[in-house]
Amino acid sequence: MKPRLILAYVLIPLGLIIAAVPENTTKPYKLTADELLEEVKSGTQFISPDEVAAMVISKDPSLQLIDVRSAAEFEKFSLPNTINIPLVDILNPEWEDYIHQDVKLNVFYSNSSNNANQAWMITRQLGYENNYVLQGGLNFWVKTIMNPKEPSELSPNEEIAKYNFRKGAGMALGGADVSTQPGASAPVKKPVITKRKKKKKVQGGC
Amino acid sequence: MGPLIVNEIISENTNLFLAFLIGIGFGFVLESNGFSSSRRLAGMFYGYDTTVLKVFFTAAIVGAIGLLFMSLFGWIDLSYIYINPTYLWSSIGGGVVMGAGFILGGYCPGTSVCAASIGKLDALAFIGGIFIGVFLFTEGYPLLEGFYKAKYLGSPLLNEVFNLSRGMLIFLIILAALAMFWVGEWAEKRFAHEDYKINQK
Repeated sequence: MKPRLILAYVLIPLGLIIAAVPENTTKPYKLTADELLEEVKSGTQFISPDEVAAMVISKDPSLQLIDVRSAAEFEKFSLPNTINIPLVDILNPEWEDYIHQDVKLNVFYSNSSNNANQAWMITRQLGYENNYVLQGGLNFWVKTIMNPKEPSELSPNEEIAKYNFRKGAGMALGGADVSTQPGASAPVKKPVITKRKKKKKVQGGC
Repeated sequence: MGPLIVNEIISENTNLFLAFLIGIGFGFVLESNGFSSSRRLAGMFYGYDTTVLKVFFTAAIVGAIGLLFMSLFGWIDLSYIYINPTYLWSSIGGGVVMGAGFILGGYCPGTSVCAASIGKLDALAFIGGIFIGVFLFTEGYPLLEGFYKAKYLGSPLLNEVFNLSRGMLIFLIILAALAMFWVGEWAEKRFAHEDYKINQK
């Protein structure tokens, strides 16, 4: 048989198949709805105020707190070394290097954990990693870290240890100042993050 | 998930190494198919040998089908494939210059290296001409820049122009290619040269 005919017999059916099937438009590295639901159900995105407080006090360089409230709220009060990315602004390309990186541990927070969770979901759906949510948000933070409730003397040791840690943390982070001196912790400048290498397209030529 | 290098599955150096191996394979296949013969290459323009058309169009459609199937299976993300941007006038001008050089010299840039590797002196002369051309273009770039960058069209895709799916376009190109091969083989008989026997059976 002529090579041209063999070629035709092979390529025409393949061409017909590829013409008939829909194009694959799925993007890699994105989560399916099922996968996302699994993550939401297991709550792995939450990080407790105690863990965050410990990292803040030890000045853990891998921690990056991200305030997703509005800029006005951020001005009024924020946690130390926080950058402000309002939720409405989260898809702004300007912030992509902060929320799409693999160096730091990002912790989103808002007043409750609602907005932070929304921010997390959006970034997670985009396939970004290393983003977490401060459990209970700022309200819970103030309640547990800034004004911890003293356990009764009969509480188990862990409770008392936790209380002592929180009290110490609250003091280290200027606990009592929160309500009396708003704006005491001045918003810090954006920290410099080494830019993630942009994915370059494959180049080629004849 | 490809492309391998964009997704950091292989390093840039591994990529270069793979390119090296593929390049050797490419050169070997080119040479063993007679692409180091300037008569075979020039035959494309006179019609007595259309191997160039057949080989490169076959490569293009096989590659295109392969990419579309790989994309279908989720093995490659086509949005990362680099598409050469189109500067219309320099594409046309470059095509004319390249075609003229092809007929005059009997080689294209790739096949000239292929032929030089088996010791053909005309291919060496051709490569010398390439370097002269590169030098002239580089030195003359300020004069040519306006033409070079004129009519920038971005990276238009044929299937978007015709509003077809990629698969449909490829199917039509396959049909067109097979028709061209048929015309080519007809031309090989019609314009056959007495003293040219490489492709005549």
